[in-house]
Amino acid sequence: MNHDEWLERADIYALGALEGEELARFEAHLASGCAQCKEYLLETHETLTSLPRSLAPIEPPSAMKAKLLRQIGAVAKAPVLDRRRVRWLWWGMGVGAVAAASLLLVLSWNLIATRNQLRDLQAQVATLQTQVSQREELIQFLSDPQVRLVNLAGLPPSPAARGQLLWNSLSRTGLLLVTGLPQVPADKAYELWGIAGAEPVPAGVFRVNERGQVLFRLPALPEAKIFDKFAVTLEPASGVPKPTGTMFLLGSL
Amino acid sequence: MADESRDDPVRLIHQIANRNREAFARFYDRFAPLAFTLAVRILRDRAAAEDLLQETFFQLWNQAANYSQERGSPEAWIITITRSRAIDKLRSIRRRDKSFISMEGPPGKQYDGKVEGSATASDARIIVNSALAQLAESQRKVLELAYFEGLTQSEIAAKLKEPLGTVKTRMRAALERLRGLLGAKAGGEAS
Repeated sequence: MNHDEWLERADIYALGALEGEELARFEAHLASGCAQCKEYLLETHETLTSLPRSLAPIEPPSAMKAKLLRQIGAVAKAPVLDRRRVRWLWWGMGVGAVAAASLLLVLSWNLIATRNQLRDLQAQVATLQTQVSQREELIQFLSDPQVRLVNLAGLPPSPAARGQLLWNSLSRTGLLLVTGLPQVPADKAYELWGIAGAEPVPAGVFRVNERGQVLFRLPALPEAKIFDKFAVTLEPASGVPKPTGTMFLLGSL
Repeated sequence: MADESRDDPVRLIHQIANRNREAFARFYDRFAPLAFTLAVRILRDRAAAEDLLQETFFQLWNQAANYSQERGSPEAWIITITRSRAIDKLRSIRRRDKSFISMEGPPGKQYDGKVEGSATASDARIIVNSALAQLAESQRKVLELAYFEGLTQSEIAAKLKEPLGTVKTRMRAALERLRGLLGAKAGGEAS
């Protein structure tokens, strides 16, 4: 084949329009090391690079650069090693191994201490998570316009005790916050009552923590009952259908 | 002069090969708008062009060490990578759709690749458009169909209902004329 014919194909190749057998034959010709075609192709690519400049410019989104820099930032943390650095690295590793063995004992000891600290911190985190979720529940409850606040006052067995009941008469649910109630033996528990007229309706059994506090979520109560009072009595741990024990807290709606 | 040397694209690519993020940022500032413009023109889909731009520059970051001036200018290199990726994507969409509707359809209003002069265009744009304006309409057409639409010579022949030989001749004539008008480097460093 006359070499000019290869150059003719080089143009079409540079445009990406060559195909099939012609493409295969031209690529084989290039692979054979034709310097003239290679040079010609380079020049043609440079000329074609001008074509996008004929278009009305469109700016890429402003966030793209930051996105890419973050992406390559993550990759950049993996260092690229050259041979010289690798050789020194072996020396360094030999010396480092001795030092590492000495350090291992110290680190092991520290590791045990750290694990204990970690366990304590995990417990603290769990406590905080509980508190946060309780507060979130409270906030959610309070944001409902149907919610009414019922203050429950401490009665003679524990006059310092206080209770606040957030009662939603529409959804028939509530949240009870209690402070200052004495802790009770394992076979006993406090029971909350919704009182409709003279009829007490069981509203759930709860216990308080070592500081006499609890945040207790009421079960859904019967819709037919219109409560005007709420009370807390001390009852057997499993709860009872009608109050039998001493009343500790009482409040009116 | 110091600033010019700092922003020399070849130097920037060598710095990128050495994991210099600042050089990467400067290279991006310089060439991303052109690469994005080309990607939007080929794909006619801004979101797809954004993905492609990200892939292209990520490839640049990973393969900058493979660059050598023997392979052409940095601009030609990044534009060639962008175009190859965009055309590959376009062809795979066409294969998936089993239809040439997208290439037959009218060009997008906003991203019309037709060459034209503009009072607001940059110097480079005016130079390139002037050169393109000196080509015969039939030559310009085959150039656009191959470069921006990613059509092969036989697809162009089928679309234009012209013999394959005529299409080949027009492509060669168009490129020869452009080379004469622009020279290898024309428009490359203007911005």
